[in-house]
Amino acid sequence: MSFLGGARSSAPAGGLNSDKIEMAITELDTITDFFNRMVSSCHTKCVGTRYTEGDLNKAEMVCIDRCVAKYNEVQKKVGEKIQSRGAASAGGGGFGL
Amino acid sequence: MSTQDAKPPVTPSQASGIRAALQYTGIPPSWLDKRPRLPSRNWLIFLSVTSSVIGLYIYDRRESKRIKQEYIEKVKYLSEQTGDHLSWPRKVTVYGAKWPGDEDYDQAMKYFRKFVKPILVAGAVDYEMVVGKRSGDLTRRIAEEIKARRRVDVGLDPAPSADLLPPNFPFRPLAELRQQELEGGIVIVGRPTFKEFMAGLKKGWTESLEKVDADERLAQELEMDGRFDEPEEPSGVEKLSPGPDSQPIPSSAPSPVLSHLQYRLPPTPSPQSRPAAPSTIPESLNTPPTIIPTLPPILFVSFTNYIGFTQIPLMVWDFFNQRYKVRSGAEAGYRLVMNSTRPFSYPPSPESQPLFSDITSSPTPSSKGDLDHGKESEAYFRSSLSSIPDDIEKARKKYYDGLPAKLETARALARGTREPTKEEIENPPSTEVELRADRMKKEKRWRNDLEGWNIVRPDKEVEWDERFGDALRVFDDPPDTDLPTAATT
Repeated sequence: MSFLGGARSSAPAGGLNSDKIEMAITELDTITDFFNRMVSSCHTKCVGTRYTEGDLNKAEMVCIDRCVAKYNEVQKKVGEKIQSRGAASAGGGGFGL
Repeated sequence: MSTQDAKPPVTPSQASGIRAALQYTGIPPSWLDKRPRLPSRNWLIFLSVTSSVIGLYIYDRRESKRIKQEYIEKVKYLSEQTGDHLSWPRKVTVYGAKWPGDEDYDQAMKYFRKFVKPILVAGAVDYEMVVGKRSGDLTRRIAEEIKARRRVDVGLDPAPSADLLPPNFPFRPLAELRQQELEGGIVIVGRPTFKEFMAGLKKGWTESLEKVDADERLAQELEMDGRFDEPEEPSGVEKLSPGPDSQPIPSSAPSPVLSHLQYRLPPTPSPQSRPAAPSTIPESLNTPPTIIPTLPPILFVSFTNYIGFTQIPLMVWDFFNQRYKVRSGAEAGYRLVMNSTRPFSYPPSPESQPLFSDITSSPTPSSKGDLDHGKESEAYFRSSLSSIPDDIEKARKKYYDGLPAKLETARALARGTREPTKEEIENPPSTEVELRADRMKKEKRWRNDLEGWNIVRPDKEVEWDERFGDALRVFDDPPDTDLPTAATT
């Protein structure tokens, strides 16, 4: 493994440093994307548009709990399926669906 | 407005009523002269049959919707309260086991989802659905859960702790979890589920606490069985060490290969594989407790699954009368959401029988209180189900009859005593390892099925233990309601 850019080389570790940073950035992007989608999806499904008060009522709380749990679970399963089909399709980025 | 348009004109030039009004509208005059008539007999038959069928369907569905809305309105106020958004909602566990005879294990859960869930959703009660895919699955699962809980209670297993979790992670200590459980509830859909549940409860609270791997135990038992022995060796099990086999049988392979293939547990530890394994748990902890902690209250949901050709009229009736199911499901959901409970009513224990013998007219109590719940639904079981044990035996026999042949082929091919034929190259027959794994799977399935059937059989009563009497509670109708209270359903 060689350095990707001489200017970006840092003193410790070897050539994998920049790769790791890249990976970390990708992962952060993925997670943020996943979170945003989850929030918007569960919001449209669970919380009505008429805001009568500032707090969530019980029905919305339960609904959001279930929505997030289901979303998480589906995300995990889809991730596993994609990974098991090989890194080639996984690299394309279908994590945050 | 006059509906008779067939009045003969008073004078040709002076028509009255509708004729006058419509005279110049362009409608053909012959139409204005016709008498109103019913359609022909055949049309009448067709229209009346069709309209009555469609009318029944539409009426039933509208009624169902209305009933559902009615119950939802009753509990909606609960969901509109705002609470602490970091608190945990009330959560119930829903158990739905497979109805015996039905290959679709999901029917009980579908009933729950369609008829009871809307009320729970409207009342902001969270639910977790547990399905029993084969008869007996639910029993095993519940027994495992109870044993795990007992282990934690007694101290054998560590209680969940917050040490390894990141800070500020929403962690709840065990006491809080238990409290949350108690506030929730258990929903049981259908009588087979009830039987499996009680059997699981009894098993969990009666058996010992050590961790037994059922697969391991079954594997050891099957090894002892000696089905995979070489047919040439008359007493295969007694062979201790894999010494050179000096039997002059032409088809047997050289002994090192033989011994290699026939590795089995030497019979000396066989007493160890018997159930009386040395327990690693001290007796004081291992004995089942005499007092069972209170369980979350139970909600019965009566459910009957119609299967079979003879029950088709019932299915048709059901299709046109879904409103009764909607009503009973919604009532059950209402009871759960309103959270009013009563103690479980159970038959008196046998010692107290002489006390009541002069009062009761029948020698044996004909009704067992809550244990009888849903008994009438057992009348709908298919009568062919009683042959399940025989079917399993037959399948077993067939399998074991065909096994030596397959074993022969596998061993011969593995040892290289004969070349594989053309068909065998194309579809390679299973090797010995595969055969063993296959056998294990089949045996496991047969045993589980048999056990499950023995729990759910119609002639078998619901399992009961005296300790359960105080630990169980049942959801009942709230006192100030106009609904007819369910007495001991």
